Order: sequence, then structure tokens, then C-alpha cells
Amino acid sequence: MPDLHIVVCVKVVPKPEEIRVDPDTMRLERANARSEINPPDMNALEMALGLKDKYGGRVDILSMGPLFFEHPLRVCLSMGADHIYLLSDKDFGGADTLATTYTLSKGIENIGSVDLVFCGEESSDGATGQVPPGLAEWLNYNQITIVSEVDVDLKRNVVVGQRGIKGGYEIIEVPLPSVISVKTASNEPRFMDYTIKDWAFEKEQMAVWNKKDIKVSENLIGVPGSPTVVSGLEQAPSRERKRIFLSGTPEEIALKIIAVIGNGD
Amino acid sequence: MKETFILDDKVWEQLIELTDGAAAVCFQCGVCTAICPWGLVKGETISVRNFMRQAQLGLQDGNENLWLCTTCAQCEAYCPRGVNIADVFLGLRYLAWQRNQPEEGLPTLLWSVYWNNNPWEQPPSQRSQWAKNLDLSVFDPEQHEILYYVGCTTSYDRRAQKIALSLIKLFEEAGVRFGILGDDEPCSGEEVLSVGHKHYFQEIIQRSSQVFQDRGVTKLVTTSPHSFDVFYNHYPIFNEDFRPLHYAQYLAELLEESRLKFTNPIERKVTFQDPCYLARHNGELDAPRKVIEAIPGIEFVEMENHGIDTLCCGGGGGRMWLETAPGERFSDLRVKEVLETGADALITSCPYCVSCLEDSIKAQNIQEVEVMDVAELAVLAVSG
Amino acid sequence: MVESLYGIPVERKAIWVFLEQCEGVFEGVSLELLSKGRLMADRMGWQLVGLLMGKGVKKLAQEAIAYGADKVLLADHPLLENFTIDAFGHVAFQAIMEDKPSVFLSGATPNGRDLAGRLAVRLRTGLNADCTDLRMDLETGVLVSEVSGFGGGVLALIEMQKHRPQMATVRTGVFPPGEPNVDRTGEVLQLTVDLTREMIKTKLKERVVGEGVDLTQAEILVVGGRGVNGDYQMMRKLADLLEGEVGATRPPVDEGQIERERMVGQTGSVCRPKVAVVCGVSGAFHFVVGIQYADTVIAINSDPEAPIFDYADYCIVGDVFDILPALINALKVAPGVKHA
Repeated sequence: MPDLHIVVCVKVVPKPEEIRVDPDTMRLERANARSEINPPDMNALEMALGLKDKYGGRVDILSMGPLFFEHPLRVCLSMGADHIYLLSDKDFGGADTLATTYTLSKGIENIGSVDLVFCGEESSDGATGQVPPGLAEWLNYNQITIVSEVDVDLKRNVVVGQRGIKGGYEIIEVPLPSVISVKTASNEPRFMDYTIKDWAFEKEQMAVWNKKDIKVSENLIGVPGSPTVVSGLEQAPSRERKRIFLSGTPEEIALKIIAVIGNGD
Repeated sequence: MKETFILDDKVWEQLIELTDGAAAVCFQCGVCTAICPWGLVKGETISVRNFMRQAQLGLQDGNENLWLCTTCAQCEAYCPRGVNIADVFLGLRYLAWQRNQPEEGLPTLLWSVYWNNNPWEQPPSQRSQWAKNLDLSVFDPEQHEILYYVGCTTSYDRRAQKIALSLIKLFEEAGVRFGILGDDEPCSGEEVLSVGHKHYFQEIIQRSSQVFQDRGVTKLVTTSPHSFDVFYNHYPIFNEDFRPLHYAQYLAELLEESRLKFTNPIERKVTFQDPCYLARHNGELDAPRKVIEAIPGIEFVEMENHGIDTLCCGGGGGRMWLETAPGERFSDLRVKEVLETGADALITSCPYCVSCLEDSIKAQNIQEVEVMDVAELAVLAVSG
Repeated sequence: MVESLYGIPVERKAIWVFLEQCEGVFEGVSLELLSKGRLMADRMGWQLVGLLMGKGVKKLAQEAIAYGADKVLLADHPLLENFTIDAFGHVAFQAIMEDKPSVFLSGATPNGRDLAGRLAVRLRTGLNADCTDLRMDLETGVLVSEVSGFGGGVLALIEMQKHRPQMATVRTGVFPPGEPNVDRTGEVLQLTVDLTREMIKTKLKERVVGEGVDLTQAEILVVGGRGVNGDYQMMRKLADLLEGEVGATRPPVDEGQIERERMVGQTGSVCRPKVAVVCGVSGAFHFVVGIQYADTVIAINSDPEAPIFDYADYCIVGDVFDILPALINALKVAPGVKHA
């Protein structure tokens, strides 16, 4: 039986509370923001490593972004992943989900012989839940989304996942290969293994691929590959708590509370 | 507990190395087990002796009681061999990390320190929000006598922030020229040490001490005895003049130098909870008492278990991030002791003690006792 | 430039809504989208069409019309009994390619997101997810979607000038559901479904609903602390009226007044509700960590100095036993208040 081969898609994101919108250029300013691994991707990686603990095999990290993603991605290696593939090319920039999922799918095809692709369910900087099914579509893989527990049957070549639905869950089985999106906070990601940390930060463990390396069609990547455009951008009002005191009789206060809840204020 | 005895020389050597040979010296007398506060709350002890035995035999078995230890070092105070028992627990914990078997909730703690520079999953960019209206100076070695090291818990926990606010008033009263590092203040790493991740702790202290070195920090005053302990005992002495102090020690100094004077009498009967990390780990019993007893009008009474015998509040050893079952909380016992003294205020000098003790007071609906940190009491005694 | 499978020259001026149903009951968000879709369709003079897939769901078509659909495309087939991406994706794709609507809306539910995500790639078009508002540009027929990013710190407006259909997903509770009008008439068109068993790779082995407590999924959370004196029945009443969940702080859990699964805080559940109503809670740090991600926090406590007020958007100094009964009474009278 061949080894289980999992690719985990990891996004490095700025800390949400540190993002600013430049009111003049209407662009996001993330230069000063600290970076972290998109927290749901940590759950995805933990789930993949759990399967590796059980069945052996490989867990590779795939990411798309600029070279400064390197340090956080090596943290993933320190947790127990085997290799990093960073898709980096200035022409990948400005991509919306269609172009991003296309580019990632070409990366996965280039890695080859992949049984499972794990993604976080969503990402803290905005793309909410579209990447996993989009990726599955480009790859023509099956999918199970919002998975809190997973297992594989390598003899029957299937993956079984517990999928979260409103008020409960489903148990779903699909043949390999498949994309799995992992439910946020569904596990506790293991901390780095310091016996392998030095190894994790050695040069050999990361490959950087550009558009030629993964043989993309130019019109499907980056800006040309993105149907959506941002026509307006603004800083949302401050996230600090409002601390507005409501007063009146209990009946009056009750109505004020209802108004607040109803307005989603 | 299913016991698997697998003698492993490699594990034994690791433990010896991790604990500087602590485990080797124990001769299994059992005093530690008898004295451990867990015996008081759990009805059965967690058998520190057994853990020492496990360590001596280099055993591989996991045991959830391993994470109950608060590192209060009550056992160390009584050990006839002077074994650093808490270190043995930390060594065994490190082995658990290596086997990827830490207690649930603790990887989250470490990740929080890694990504956010604090253990509370709070945004690093908001570390000094508590001080935004205070106009405090950024630490400058040319201008300032001390660096006030606020600490993670005090920065983010609104209750603990009150300690900082009181301290700052006291510094200003005494004319102390002080600065803070604000958002650049590095996490001390004490919680990482206390849950046994020795390697990550080493990384943190390298980085944090570099920050202190680069910023020209020499004399440093902490809010928490835990940060004081790691700075004093574990950080490299990168500078001959590096002098960490807990704030109670610093206030005692200021009183001695007559820079700080208590003029408002406070007619209250108070008692004092010695934080483990001052009293036992660092032998500091006098400084907080000097400060309290310098306040005119104060009637000071000791609890039965005071000084070197202080009863841990239950917050050390990473337990602030772990759930302690009701009926098993040291602080519940402690507040009963307070009632026996007739004091109306329980004074302490540690943010974890404040948190645990206040929780216990609320849980037992005790109206007649208030918990205050030394600084919060002292600030009432100065004019203005 | 990537090209969608069809473009503006051939698009039909229609707004489609994916009508999600489970076991013969519509997902609330589908009705909310019909309501919003109706407003947009009226503004544009376009048609509002519902896409309804399932088994034995014909009667739902009339309900969709009552909520505003001009036309319902009905795919009724045994292989559509349970949602699978294989079957629903296949049928939806065929229907879309047949009719080429300008706009396709879906609820941002687990199934809605899966369907929209795969269709968008299959159609080579754009998808705006979790929109907080939608509007149609009268002149250009372009759908302008408002989305928030970075934990709500940034608001963006997104559009597609050339690609069709213009797809968007919307979470439940963003738009109000509107009132059904049983006198509304519309067209029901039965679609030919050419599904075979071999096409469906997804095997649903089990579905479990209604067991266990998961506070982290609650959109509305009602938390009772010491100050509610163990009256979790009152908390439950309030939560039910708001269609939310009941949580508690550590002291009542310790005293056995409520089960441990309902504990909110650092060592309990860290929740992300839209609204947290926090009653009789003093606001210790380890609790607050459990609601720090709530969009809106409403706190009720009789102590004006209670730390919880520092962490709340709306603060009420008062006795929970005065405020909550008044709130419960007012909710019994007020229609459909759960929108946030």
C-alpha cells in the first residue's frame, strides 16, 4: 500500500486587529502588521499530522504568497510537516478566490500523487469557505467540508469525515483523492517539536515555485484570473466596546435591548 | 492508573540533565507527599514521592497528576535532602511535551505566547492600552532609575491593571523616575517554564534578555513574583548591573530611603498571603511586611500558615490555564484561614494570588474580607 | 483575462436564489434571500427565480412564490433527497447554463457555501462570500456586494463587471425574512433531472441533529452568572425567545446549577456569537476571554462598578430579576427579533 500523502494549504495572514486601510489610496496597509498562520489552518495541519501519526506517510505544506511567508511556514515544519512548497511570483498577486484556487491546484498537481488536501475552513482575512470547494473543483477531487474528525481506509481508498451542520453533524464518506476543510477550533494544534526545529529552519526543507515551475495559464492567475474587483474599501468603525449605558424603567430598557439585537448594532 | 514499568536509560539521563541531577538525591522518605497541599484538598495526595520514584526509574508512563503540581515548592521547604522537587516535575513535564502528551489547553498557552507575546490570546498591539491615558514615559536608561516591568497578566487583566495603577501613583509620590517598554515589553516566559517546556523557555529568555540589553535595562521592578523569579534566577546576567526586583522589595527600599512616606492612617486589620514565588522560591518574607507595617493605623495579623509555610493560592505551575475542580481549590481553604484571623483585608503581592483568592471569596460569599495587593493598600496611605 | 462560461450579452435579467431545504423545511436564509431578492428584482424590473432541489418538495414551491419568487425551477428526484455536492452541483450547473441568470444568490450555510464554491469555479465566475449587504446598480445591472474582512475591521465593496453569473453568499440573519403572501402567483417549472447513482461519489452514512451542546456555534448567547441565582429556567426562556443558547460562568457550574458543557470562558467555551447577553456576571478576566469575539455584548449587573461593563457595548445597571422578565415579556409580543 503506498504511503498516505497529504498536502495542507496554509495561509499566512496579518493579525486582523492590526490591519489599516489607507484612506487616500483605499488600499490595505499590512506592512506594519504582525503575521501569523491563519488559525484555522493550524487546525487543518493538526488534523493532517494526526493522520500521519496513525498511518505514516507525508504531510506537505502548500502556500501562495511573498517570500516573507517563509518563517511562519517553517513553524509548520517544526510541528511535524515534511516539506514546504511556496508558490511565489509577482504575477500571482492581486488574485481573488478563482485565481487563488486555480494557482493552488496547479501547485498540488505539480507536487503529484496527493491523496488528501487539507484546508482551514475559512481564513481570518476574509475569504470565507470558498477555497476548499473551489480547489476541489479545479482538481476534480471529492470533498468533505467543516470536518471535526477524520479517518481514512487505505484498503478501500476512502476518507470518512464528521461534517458540522446546523445543530449537529453528518458522517460522510468519499473516495480518495479528496479535499477536506477542517472546522475551526476542532482540535488543539500541537506545539513545535524542538528536537526538529533546527532541521525545520534549514534551506533544503522549502521549495519556492514561480509561475513557470507550476506551468500555469497566464490568463487564469493573479489579476487577469480574478473576476471580482474591489470598488470601495474603508476602515470599519473601531472594535473597542462601546460602553453605552442604557437607562429607564425595565420595560423601556427591554425595548432598547430588543432594538439593539434587532439592528445587529 | 495502568502502570508500565519500562526502565529507559535514555529517559533517566535526560531527566538528570533536565533537573541538574535533582532526582538522584531523593531517598524516598515521603515527607513531600505528606506536606503537599493537594493532600489537603483531594483527600488523597498526589504522591510526590511516586513522581520522584518515576523519575528515578526513568519511567515512561504518562500521568495526569503530573499537571496538578503548582510548583509551590512546599515539598522543597521540608525535604530533608534539599531536592529541587519542583524541577523534577518540570523535567517530567518536558518529557511529556517531547512525547506530544501535554495536558489539554497547554499547547494553546504556548502558541499564544509565540504569536501574541502573552499567554492570554490578547492582541500584542494592545499590550499597553491600559496605560493610554496615563502619559507614561518610554523607558530611557539616561533618564530613568528603573524600568517598570508590567507583565502580561497585569497588562491585559483589568483586575490586575489596578495593581499597576496603584504602583504608578506610589512611584510618582516617591518621585521615582521610571519608564515602561509599552508594546515592546517582552513576555518573561514564566508560564512557559512553569508548564515544563524548557527549550521554548530558553528561546524566550534569550530573546527577552536581548531586548533588555539593547534597551539598557539595569534596575527592573516587576508586578508579579513569577516574572521576578525568572528574571532573577533564570535570565542570563548580560549586564553586571542587571538587578531585577519585585515591587514589594522596591517599595521597602523607597521607605528606607524616606522617599516614600505613609501619612494617611488606615485603621484596618489585615493579614498577608505570602506568594510562593517570593516566600519559598526566593526567601523574601520581609519586604512586603515592612511595607504593610509601615502604614500607620494598620493592625497586622499572621495566618497560621504564613511565611515559609504559606499555602499556595493554586495558580502556579500553569494552573491559571487549567480547570481546577470545585472543592479542590487551595484558595478556598486559604480564605477560611483568613476568617480565623478576624482580618477584614487579605493582602498579597501577586496577580495570580489576587485572582484565585478573589474567586474563592466570591464563591463562598464572604462579605467581610477584601483582597488587595500591597500596592493597592499602600496607595491609600499616601497623601494626594 | 479569465472568461466565464457565459457573459453579459447572453445573460437573462434574473436573480436566482438557491432554495435550500432540509427534510421538507426551508432554511431560513433562503426565505431571507427571497425577500431581499424581491426588492432587488423590483428595483431592476427583473425576474426573481428560486432553484429548488430535493425529493418530494413540490409543495415548497408554492411557499417560495408566497415569499416573492416569480418562478420556481423544481428538480424533484430521489437522488436529490439528501444534499450531496455531486448531485446538487450537477443539477444546478445544468439549470444555470440553460437559463444563464445574471445573479445567483445562496445562503452561506455549510451546503450553500459548498455549492456556491464549486459552481463559481465550474462557471469560471466570481463569488462574494458572507456579504453583509447587496444592492443592484440600476444603470449597469452590476451587483455590488459589501463584505467585511479582518474580523470586521475592514469593509469592502466588490463587483464583477464582465463575469456572469454574479454570485454571492449571505449568512442567515443579515436580511429580514419578510412576510409571505399566499395570494401571490407564480410559475413552477419542473426540470428534467438526468442524475445516475454512479455520478454521486458522496456517501452520507449518518446524520445526527439535536444532541449535545455546542456553544461555539451559537449566534445568540445568553449567559447567566452568580447574579441570576441559579434561575437557568429564566435564562432558557430568554434564549429560546431569541433562538439562542444558554451559557454560564464558572461559579454556577461549580455549584451544580447547570451543566459544565455550558461554561463560557478561558477553560470553558470560547464563543463567537453575534450577540451575547450577559446577566449577573461580574466580569472576571477568565470569563471575558470567552466572549471577547462577540459582535455585540449587552451586560446587566446591579453593581455599577462591575468590571463586565468595561467589556460591554451596552451596559445596564439594574436587577436582572427586574430587567429580564420585562425583556421576556416584550419579546413575546415583538415579532421576529432575531436579526443581527
